Amino acid sequence: MADSSSAVRKTAKVLVLIAAALGLALWLLTRTTNFPESELPAHSADPENGAAMFHAGACASCHALEESGNENPLLLGGGREIETDFGLFRVPNISPDADTGIGGWNLAEFVNAMLRGVSPQGRHYYPAFPYSSYTRMKTEDLIDLKAYLDSLPAVNNTVGGHELHFPWNIRRGIGLWKLRYLDAAAVINIDETDQALLRGRYLAEGPAHCGECHTPRDWAGGAETSRWLAGAPNPDGEGRVPNITPHQDGLGSWSKSDIAYYLKTGLRPDYDTAGGSMVAVQENLAQLPESDREAIVAYLKAIPARAKVQEASE
Amino acid sequence: MSRVFSVSLILFILSFSVSASDDPVDVRHEMMEGVLDGAKAIGDMLKEKREFDAAVAMDALLVWQKASKEFGDLFPEGSYTGGEDKAKETVWTDREGFNKLLADFAREVDAAVAAEPQDLETLNAAAGPIFKVCKKCHEGYRLEGD
Repeated sequence: MADSSSAVRKTAKVLVLIAAALGLALWLLTRTTNFPESELPAHSADPENGAAMFHAGACASCHALEESGNENPLLLGGGREIETDFGLFRVPNISPDADTGIGGWNLAEFVNAMLRGVSPQGRHYYPAFPYSSYTRMKTEDLIDLKAYLDSLPAVNNTVGGHELHFPWNIRRGIGLWKLRYLDAAAVINIDETDQALLRGRYLAEGPAHCGECHTPRDWAGGAETSRWLAGAPNPDGEGRVPNITPHQDGLGSWSKSDIAYYLKTGLRPDYDTAGGSMVAVQENLAQLPESDREAIVAYLKAIPARAKVQEASE
Repeated sequence: MSRVFSVSLILFILSFSVSASDDPVDVRHEMMEGVLDGAKAIGDMLKEKREFDAAVAMDALLVWQKASKEFGDLFPEGSYTGGEDKAKETVWTDREGFNKLLADFAREVDAAVAAEPQDLETLNAAAGPIFKVCKKCHEGYRLEGD
């Protein structure tokens, strides 16, 4: 009898130890890492290039102050609500306001948010903030972007938190998501001797984050890179985001100059216009140097052509 | 009797065809096609894919002008198709914003017609703001995708 109760106690101890080891492993796997200040490159900020990064990323298309009558895209007070399958996201204030925006952040904190999706308080950001694209950005470009953002008006506007469904509301779990999906490597292999293509890939896969809307997502919200830019359900709800690969379902019939003209003016080859959230994106891309738009076009013509796949739910 | 039947049949067919063409969904769709044809004519000139032709440009502007005055009546309550056409529900839930853009469209088109563009430069200056209003309206009030 004594032997059997001692065996039970031993088994219980082993189980507790296994549970503790698993818990510790999970805790370690999901913890955040900070961008060390010592790794910031010696670089003097160039706000003009920062403005180009701001337009490439069309930051204002999500972060502009959501307030009746506000048409100023440089007031980055946030507040827009995005309803998704995972729950309700509220777009934060990224104006340089010290109390309700990001005015109090230092450079390392900003770089950490953009490259690793980690807040100054050491919490994971949800990937609705497209750091899984920004993680491919050069730190120098981020330093320039921060300098530009700091030059914009401070907006005092408190934005509430997200309201997500279980299990997505467990923020720590994003650490596991990052292990699976956060990857600074380029998505598409290209001829790396072609400087325009390299620039186009950098812009499209990094700051311009085209893949965030134009690539379908899997069950956990990660990009399905095998269907890169092949079109996806609209994250805002109704309708669909188009296929922009060189397939006949996408931009196959568009010439390079058609795409460049569209990015500059918003007019398609049949003279219909851009619509939905692409309007703000296009109007930002129109402010890039022409060579950058042409680089994006070269990239869009070089990526693999993929047919659109209709989702079962559509 | 057969005459009565024939007349009834004709009236029935007529009433059906009249009611079909009166359907605001069909009418707005057709009108939008006309607007797009105008955009093709003007766009090809701006892109220098065809030679500038003042009369063709004015015809297109007049089609836009007519549309700008009539569009507002073609989205009556109850004509939201739930996504079967491209009109987004916001046309009805944010009527004030939609009407404001229709007014912008009418104002810009009226100015373009009054300018009577006689060269590419004038046409470009007149059509640019109109295309911007088109985009603005498609941003908030049109469904995207196939």
